[in-house]
Amino acid sequence: MADETATLAAPPQDSRSETIAFVIGAAGWLVPGLGHVLMKMWGRAAACFLTVGILVILGTAMRGNVFSSSGSDAFDSLGYLADLGTGTFYFVARSLETKGPDVSHAGGDYGTRFLAAAGVLNLLAALHAYEAARGRKA
Amino acid sequence: MNFGIGFKLSHLQSMMLFALLISIAFGFLSRRRPIDRVKYIVWSLFLFLLIGVGIGWAMYPFSR
Repeated sequence: MADETATLAAPPQDSRSETIAFVIGAAGWLVPGLGHVLMKMWGRAAACFLTVGILVILGTAMRGNVFSSSGSDAFDSLGYLADLGTGTFYFVARSLETKGPDVSHAGGDYGTRFLAAAGVLNLLAALHAYEAARGRKA
Repeated sequence: MNFGIGFKLSHLQSMMLFALLISIAFGFLSRRRPIDRVKYIVWSLFLFLLIGVGIGWAMYPFSR
């Protein structure tokens, strides 16, 4: 009976820690490095913020393609998902790229890759923060 | 470049910059001790460049 009570009492705490971990992961996605800041992992937070930020700034400066939700094919949609991975930095990229993309040169093509890589890297970092918050080895 | 910086990157410079940034991020995310991070960053950067240049040379015969 006592074991049964303990088993029944456990889920709310698990659920709470799982919610906190999810919030930390979501924060890490919205603002690169914020998830690690909440976990007090300062070095990783700085590295995530700077690398994602530099990739986004370089990508837009090289006139890479910042995809929008109105993509016409699967590659545009995948590019949009990758770009969205940068969280709020996606809107920074859109506001910085006033002249629009120019992928007729190698620089623009590289810029597109830089932006997509920034998004995927930020998703990886957010997942890392989520796993660390769940108590997995990080 | 777009907002008045006024410099252009070559293919090699772009690849090196990309490799460096991604290596730093991977090093910080996957290793805890500073010395391990430095080793991982250097090794990852070396492999990025080696494989990038290797694939470039492998594609050379088909470029014309």
